[in-house]
Formats: sequence, C-alpha cells, structure tokens
Amino acid sequence: MKKLDLRLLRLIKNSKGQFIAITVLIIIGLIIYTGLSMAAINLEESIDTYFNRMNFSDLFIEAVELSDGDIEKIQQITDVSKVEGRIVVDVPFKDEDQDAKVRLISQGKDKEINKLYTVKGDKNIEKKEVLMLKQFAEARSLDVGNDITLEIGGKDIIFTIKGIVSSPEYIYLMEDEQSLLPTPKKFGVVYMDEKYLEEILGYSGVYTEALVTSKNTENLEVLKEEIEDQMKGSKIRRIYPREDQLSNRMVHEEIKGLKQVSSTIPLLFLGVAGIIIAALISRMIRNDRMSIGVMKSLGYNNRKILAHYTKLSLSLGLIGSVIGILLGSLLANQMAKMYLNFFNIPFLEGRFYPEFTLYGIILSVMFCVLAGLWGARKVLKIDPAESMRPDPPKKGGRVFVDRIGFLWRRLNFSEKMVFRNIFRNKKRFIFLSLGIAITFSIVIMPFAMLDAMNTMFDKHYTDFQLMEYNINFNRPMTGDVIEDIKEELQIGKIENKIEYPFEIINEEKEKVVTIIGLEENTEFYDFTSVKGDDIELPKKGILLSEGLAKVLDLEEGDNIEIKTFNNDENIKVEVKGIIRQSLGSNGYMNISQMREEFIGSNITTGVYINSDEDVKNRLDDLEYVSFIQSTKDMINIYMEFTDLIILSLGIMLLAGGILGFVIIYNSTIMNIAERRLEFSSLRVLGLSKKEIFKIVTKENAIMTITGILLGIPLGLYMIKYLESMYSTDIYTLRVDISLLSYLGSILATVIFVIIAQLATYRKIKNLDFIEALKNRIT
Amino acid sequence: MEKNKLIRVEDLSKEYKMGEVTVNALKKVSFDINEGEFVVIVGPSGSGKSTLLNIIGGMDTPTEGKVFIGDEDITKYNDKSLTSYRRDKVGFVFQFYNLMANLTAEENVELATEICKDPLKIAEVLESVNLSDRKGHFPSQMSGGEQQRVAIARAVAKNPLILLCDEPTGALDYKTGKSILSLLNKINKDYKKTVVIITHNSPISKMGDRVIKMRSGKIVDNKVNENPISPERIEW
Repeated sequence: MKKLDLRLLRLIKNSKGQFIAITVLIIIGLIIYTGLSMAAINLEESIDTYFNRMNFSDLFIEAVELSDGDIEKIQQITDVSKVEGRIVVDVPFKDEDQDAKVRLISQGKDKEINKLYTVKGDKNIEKKEVLMLKQFAEARSLDVGNDITLEIGGKDIIFTIKGIVSSPEYIYLMEDEQSLLPTPKKFGVVYMDEKYLEEILGYSGVYTEALVTSKNTENLEVLKEEIEDQMKGSKIRRIYPREDQLSNRMVHEEIKGLKQVSSTIPLLFLGVAGIIIAALISRMIRNDRMSIGVMKSLGYNNRKILAHYTKLSLSLGLIGSVIGILLGSLLANQMAKMYLNFFNIPFLEGRFYPEFTLYGIILSVMFCVLAGLWGARKVLKIDPAESMRPDPPKKGGRVFVDRIGFLWRRLNFSEKMVFRNIFRNKKRFIFLSLGIAITFSIVIMPFAMLDAMNTMFDKHYTDFQLMEYNINFNRPMTGDVIEDIKEELQIGKIENKIEYPFEIINEEKEKVVTIIGLEENTEFYDFTSVKGDDIELPKKGILLSEGLAKVLDLEEGDNIEIKTFNNDENIKVEVKGIIRQSLGSNGYMNISQMREEFIGSNITTGVYINSDEDVKNRLDDLEYVSFIQSTKDMINIYMEFTDLIILSLGIMLLAGGILGFVIIYNSTIMNIAERRLEFSSLRVLGLSKKEIFKIVTKENAIMTITGILLGIPLGLYMIKYLESMYSTDIYTLRVDISLLSYLGSILATVIFVIIAQLATYRKIKNLDFIEALKNRIT
Repeated sequence: MEKNKLIRVEDLSKEYKMGEVTVNALKKVSFDINEGEFVVIVGPSGSGKSTLLNIIGGMDTPTEGKVFIGDEDITKYNDKSLTSYRRDKVGFVFQFYNLMANLTAEENVELATEICKDPLKIAEVLESVNLSDRKGHFPSQMSGGEQQRVAIARAVAKNPLILLCDEPTGALDYKTGKSILSLLNKINKDYKKTVVIITHNSPISKMGDRVIKMRSGKIVDNKVNENPISPERIEW
C-alpha cells in the first residue's frame, strides 16, 4: 500500500468518531434515497402491471340511469375501445355487532373492464352468491363460505361469499373524497351477479355506471368531451378519467410524496455531510501545513496531495453509500410489505432496482469528492518554504462587545475570553450556529406536523362541522321525510341537506366536487374565511373551500359555472367567499337556491342530526336511510390513524436528532482540536479542566441560543414548504405551531447539544497539555 | 584534480513584502559549490541563509539572479519542473525533523522513495543511520536525535544530488547534535553526496570543506577549508 494511503487509514482510525458520524449521515441519506425511490418505483410498476392485467377503465361514467341504448351510443364513438354498463348501489350491511355500508357492484362472466383478481375461492357466482373485496373481508373476519346479510330495496337478503377478490378500482378503499381515511370495517365492496341484482332492484337494461376503455389513452379529456357531447340530454352525472379515480389518485399521491421525500431529504443529509467533510478536511489541511510542506519538498505535486485528501472524502462516500444502499434496499422491501397493509395490490413486490445503486453511489461520491476538493483547495496555496516556519499568531484586537465599555467592564476574565473567541472566529461561530439552526428546524418539523394533523381533524370535526350524525338517503327524497325522522327522534336538531357531485368550471379549469346544499342559518356548519373572519351561508351564491379555490384559481367575487348534466345550460353562480376547510374540498350553497335552480323543489339527499338519542338504532329501520355516519366514529378512526403518524414522525425526529448530533459533535471536536494549544496554555496558567470546560460550555450556550433563534424562521420556512407539499385538493394542511411544540423542539435541540458536549468534555479531560505545547508535529 | 562545479549561484536576490515593508532577504549573492563538497553556510538569524537554501532546493523562487545545477538554470523552471527537481535531485533535512506523525520510521522513508526514479535500498540507509532496530517505531516513540536520523535517512534514500540541511542540530542537545553532524559527514564521504548545512552555530563551520559566511543578505566570506576537522572534535 502507498505510504500516503496508509497515512490516510491511520488518520481515519485516529478520529473514527467523526468519520463514523459523517458516514452515518451519508448512510441515512442513501437509505432514504434508495429505500423510498425503490418503494415508489415498486408501487408504480406494480400498479401498472395490475392495471394492465385487470384492464383498468380509462373513463368512469356515473349516471342517474343509462340504458342499453346509451351504452350502444357510447360504443359507437371512434376512440372508444370498449364500454360496459354496470349497476352500482350502496346498501346497508347488516351485522349484529356493527352495521356497515357496502357498495354493490354488478358482475358478470362477460365483464372485461376492471376485472377482479381472485384471492380465494371461485369467481363464478350465481343468484345468492357474492364476491367480497379482500380489505372488507379481512376487517370483518369473513371468509369464503360465510353468509352475510344485505338490505336491498328494504328487504334483508342472505348471501354466501363465494370468493374473496381484489379490484384495481379499490387498491385504497375509501368511500368518497370526504372520507380521507380508509375504514375497511365500515365500508366495503361486494360483487353480485348482474342478472340477479337487476331482478331484485327491478332494473332491467338500466345501469348506473359505465366503464370505458379508450383506443387513445393519451387524450382522455378529448374523449370525455366527446362523450359529453354525444350524450347531451341523458342522465349522466359525471365523467372522469382514471387519474381522478379516488383510489388511483390516493396511490399516486403516495407515490408523489415518496418521490418528493426521496429527492429532497437525502440532499439535505448529503449536503450537511458535505459541509462537515469540507470543514474537516480544511481543518486537517491547516493542521497538516507542515506535513504538506514536507510532501512538497519531497517532490509530491499538488495533484497527488489533493488526491491524498480527496481520497478521504471519497472513501467516506463509498463506504457510506454501499452501506446505505444495502440498508435502503432492505427498507424498500419492508416498505413494500407495509404498503400491503394500506394498498391492496396483488402483484406488489419489493424488487431491487440496480440503477438506484448506481445513482446513489454517484450522488454521494459526487457530494463527498466535491466537498473534499473544496476543503482541500488551500493545499494549492501552501508554499513549501513558508510552511516550514511556524504559523504567525492570529490577529488579535478589540471585538465588538469590547467597545461597549460599561458591559465589558462587568465581564470577568473567562467571560471576556468567551466573547473574544466567538467574535474572532466568526466562521466557526456561524458554522456551529447554523448547524444548531438546521437541527432545530428539522426537529420542529415532526412536532409541527403533529400539531397540523391534530388541528386538521380537530378543526374539521369540532369547529367546522358541528353535526353529530350525518345521514345519507339511498335516493333523493322529498322534504317530507324530515317529519318522519322527527317522529323517530323526539329530541334534537335536524336539518335537510343536499349532497351531489357536480362539475365546477372556471374558464379552462374544471373539477368535479360535491356541492353541499344547506339550510339558511344552518347550525351544523361554522364557516370562517381564509383570513379567519366568520362568514354566513349566502342566500345566493356559493362558498368554496380553500383547496378547491386554489385548484380552480378562483377568488371571492368571481363567477363559476356549474355543469348539471340534466340541463343543457350550465348554471352561473357567484363565489361569495373562500372558506377554511382542512379535510376534503367542497362547495356550499343555500339549499333553496340549489332546489330552485338545478335539483328540483323539495328534494333532499340526507339530513344532519344532533341528538342524545341512539340515532343509529332508531333510524336503522327506515328504508331510505343508506348510511349513518357519526362524528364520534370519525374521531375514533382518526385516533387510530394518529398512532401510525406518531411512529413516522418519531422516525423523522430521530433522523433530525442524528443530523443535529453529527453537526454539533463534529464541530465541537474540530473546535477542541484546533484549540489544543490555547487550552494547554490556559492549563499551564493554572486554569482547571473544569474552568476550561465552562468556557467552552458558555461559548456553546451562546451559539445554541443564536442557533435556535435562527432555527425558528428556518423551521417555519421549511414547514411552509411542507404545507404546500402535503396540501392537496383533498386536504389542506395549515400549521399553527403550539407553544408546547416550540418548547419540545428547543428541549430536544438542547439535549442533542448536551450529548455532543459530553464528548467534548472527554476530550478536554484527556488533553495532555505539556505534550500539546511541546509537540509541534502533526 | 579539478573538481566539477555542481551548484552555481549568480547574482541571486530575493525581496519579499511583509505588510508594507519590503525585506531584501538576499542581495546579489554569487558563489559556486563543487560536487561532493561538504558546505557550511553560517550566519546569524535573518541573514538570509534559509532563503538561500530554499531557493537552491527549488522550494522558493528568487526575484533576480540564476541558480545552475549542473547546466540547468532552475530559476527558469515552472512549478511542475521544480516539483520533479525536488523529487529527484534534492534531499531536505529540517530543524524540526518534520516527520509524518502517523507513519513509522521506515514508512516515512518509503514515503519519499515511492516517487523517486532511483532510490537507494531503504534497509541499507536505515542501517547506515543506525536505526534498523527502530524502523517500526512512530515519531512520537523516538527521541529528537532518532527522529532527525529518520529525517536524514528519508533525504538520503531518495539518492539525491544534493542534501540540504536547515539547522539540522538546532533542536538537539550538544551530544546528539554532534552525532548528527558525524552522520552527515559520513554520508558525505560514503555516498559521495554534496551536503549543504546552514547554521547559526559558527563552530560547526570548522568541519566544512567550504565555509560561506552570511550577514544581512550578503556573503561576507567564502573560503575553502583545507583542513576540515571531524565533528567529534568540535566544541561549542
């Protein structure tokens, strides 16, 4: 082995703590990079395969009713490859313990679009047999051969489960946009023989939905418009492309999130590793000045010497990336397994993608080598003759605090030293303070996210929505039903509502959302404007949720068009306000305007109820009630969900902690090494180890405070970035950091500083000051 | 016998700026050194002897003047040629030894020979500086004299034309200093190397074949010593 390489190895061995710390950063960076990148690709490719094999629909058509003729008409459109009608109805699932809602979907042997994947049992069903979606079956502990009771058309019918299936349409099982979270116990999907379903529902040749595959998948919007044109006057409610299909969208949000995290966080870790490497090497160069002079006098050229130091960073990069990639691949595998709990993808597997190994190595080596070269650049400037002489003493002089006479006079000797040290080594001071600032800003993020999650749900279910029960009817009813319900429930408040999906159009932009019609002076919603002022539901006009207004680029006072499908003309409505809504995106209108202008008089699709009575049991028997959702249940579901979030936030906190520790540990160790002579002189003057440690502690304390003060705006900036990253049109993240979170993050940062300090204390304790003063060799 | 001229210094001047003051470290210095000579350059500190040595060794460049090594004027060299000149033709010995702390004695020598064209056998050189049994030790485990012997071995093993020694005894005690001088003398005789020593310690000049006295950047005396005495007999 070349003697210089040998020197390098021994150098690494002597300060292994620092090198391990840096390597850990690189490892974490690459674990996240390879792990999440591979997880994202795994998901993406598995879904593609799944969609291809199951022939996932390109367009989804929802209608009040579609006849055989309508289907035939759509089939005639040039770009349509295949169209299939189907019946979809939501019905109550009867169970002794806990009722649920299931979506009944008609199924037949001839179906070619959105084919089902049989997990267990048999796909061929007859009259009283059903196929059940895996997630629901698992949540309910149901299996092939079990009987279930469904209430269809007011009658309880018993069915036998013939098979357990997965569907490309329900990878992520959510009832609708409003649900936010999957509740597989409370909402399921069941497939039933089409002929039999027609029979019991009394439908014949009538469908409620159609699935369309296109010959030209590039331009589904065009096809969508063409179908809309052709089908004008029919009872179509909405048409949407596969990108907007709920489950598909949720999975793609997840993939997008993975990709975003895998392309930002690793850069942060590698960047910090790079900065530390650069600082470490530049410090080594300073200490090695004489050795470099010797190397030059021996005839080593600049390239060789630069390579000597860069090899150090290169080896850190290589070691870190290899370990990181190995662990990252394991993580990708684990994540694939974890996703199986969330997503029902039969072909999901944790594949290994060698290209990410390559990218990862290139990425980290690039960072490390550049950092190494940057740190070592001063090698070029070292003049061999000059370097043989001892370093001239550092420039002294009065510092800023020095000039404030009355303050300066109050300081004792060691305090004066603290200030002089800080002000004379501005670079070191800035580096450490920034390190602490970064630590703080990373640490505060998980706290802030937790706050945000809490506010999101809390605000939504306690401040914004004030109803205890949200009840949907299985078909539009007239307003008289409210009297019916009132008879069942003596006490409580009750209001009619209309919930219908419509397409809202603002010039080029359009979006299908549920518009909710509410009674004037509704007591079940509390609207606040984006600025935080109270807003009343207007008599005429619409209120839009923040996320929706953003997507459609709308402001208060703008006019929108609402496409209603059964009217030829779109209805123009003025935006009367933009409101805060953390979950879901909706429009809100006065129920009477909706009835008058586009629904039909006296129509209602459900009610809101506040009552102390056992609403569920009382209303269960009403034939037209399809679903009763209680806010309490929603909050409970959220609580379960929070446990999961806390776990991932904990991981984030840990990562932030490691990052912070490495920054602080390395900079204090470098600091001590640089100041060996200074400390030794102080020891010779008679200062005890404790007193020196006190000086260092005071310096660090000032830097910690500065760092935290800098960290607050930095953290807020990063949180703003997170807000925009995680806010979708389905939920809007708004972070109000609580005092407790601030305190928590400050405490965590201080703890990281203290741990790093302990390492410093050990170094001071072991400092052999006579040796340090005597020995000028490096 | 007419001796070959190895080093020819002609009108060498060096100015450098320290803040706002211009220091004339060397003022039009000229002299010759023959092949195989043991040269002692003596003068008080600040007389310009280190600057002179650095320029001859290709570590520094003059403001004016020429330095010929054989027929080559090294003052015309660029950085790259200077590096290979240092690599192949010059061996340096410094006052503070300047060994690499985390390499053993033997490895320190190898560090130098690894990049040379025609190095001597390391074992032999270590034997000649009497360090064979200490070759596995690190600098921190050796005395100052031992470290300086490693430094001399490092310079000699490169098999250079010239050995340049900057106050080689400056950091050593009387007895050890003398043993180092003996060693340099031995190397001058055994390996037939031209050795240039600079020192502020004038008694050392008694051992030189040629003694150059410097003061304030000028040569005040340059004479051949017909009867050099062995270092053992020098007292200071």
